[in-house]
Amino acid sequence: MNNFTKKEGPDQDLRSLLKTQHKRVYSICRFFANNYKEHQRLFADIISAASQSIRSRRGEESKQMLLLRACINMAALHSITSDLQPVSDRSIRFKSPDYQKNMLQFRERMGEITDYEKMRLFLEFEKVSPEEIADLTGPLPSRNVVPKEGVKKNFIPYLKEKLIWS
Amino acid sequence: MELKKLKDSWDNFPEVSMEERPVLSSDLEKIVVRNPLSDAFYLKNKILLRIIAGVLLLFYNMYQLRAQFITDGSELDRQVVIFLALSYFIYFHIRLLLYADYSTLLGLRLMPFLQKVETILDKYTLSFGVVSILSGFYTLAILEKVLSWRKAGSLLSSHDSSVYKWLIIIFLSVSFYILFLHTIIPKYKKMLTAVRKYKEGIGVRAQKK
Repeated sequence: MNNFTKKEGPDQDLRSLLKTQHKRVYSICRFFANNYKEHQRLFADIISAASQSIRSRRGEESKQMLLLRACINMAALHSITSDLQPVSDRSIRFKSPDYQKNMLQFRERMGEITDYEKMRLFLEFEKVSPEEIADLTGPLPSRNVVPKEGVKKNFIPYLKEKLIWS
Repeated sequence: MELKKLKDSWDNFPEVSMEERPVLSSDLEKIVVRNPLSDAFYLKNKILLRIIAGVLLLFYNMYQLRAQFITDGSELDRQVVIFLALSYFIYFHIRLLLYADYSTLLGLRLMPFLQKVETILDKYTLSFGVVSILSGFYTLAILEKVLSWRKAGSLLSSHDSSVYKWLIIIFLSVSFYILFLHTIIPKYKKMLTAVRKYKEGIGVRAQKK
């Protein structure tokens, strides 16, 4: 990543952001990628997701925040897609012996934890503040949610739900 | 899990070897413009294609509807139903495309992102119902055309039996839906279930903390 070439143009901001933040992308791959192919694919997916979000951003979100959101969202999709594959080899396989050793040690110390816990760990290791963590995950479902079954719906709200969703 | 030991591992993590580094400067241009979503999650092109096909069919339907209206033809009822089905089909897909807003989708927070992906997959799966109805109408129209080319009188005879015509349409629509249910829909249903399960898993885990 050190050999990004400098180019003038609208992508200059994006290039400089990736140049400074690419280590964060490498970091989340440690939690979710098991071999170098997955690592490469997840890295490329996150970079393209971040660049897409940054290019089309409308709100007040900072570029760093959008990059972190891309990291988390793409990691979630990567996890969902991996689970759907019929029989996948989940063993850790990297070409570099040093990296392989560290990955094995890291995963052993981490143990079997959920993806949400992995995300939390990643954000804490990246020194993201608790307020920002909440801003990355969004509102979590309330514990006291009324079950949908058994609730009688009026016709107009039902029709509205079917025709216009948000 | 010992957090201190894990943090030590994290801090002493080596750089990825040059051989395994995913991106070199020459690839960056390609990476930033490629679509990060896999085929099953990225439905924009499929939805756009359906909208274009729907609009073209609607224009053809309007032409036929006008002709039937002027000549007070026997196909007026069928053309009106096709018009309504096509209008709903186009509305549904435009609505879905606007809702999905693929350019900003990946910039959403995790839970709204998963919620949106779930809704898109759910609505796309539902859309096969309208596709089946339209397939029923157009398969009958094609069959009628084929029969009229092979035997001149068959077109008239099928027009005369209105009840049978509607029964054939219902039969074809249901058949198409069953076909979709066993071929295309399971793929999206599987994705939808996986996304829903993942989202619920995060919700439950977060509440326990």
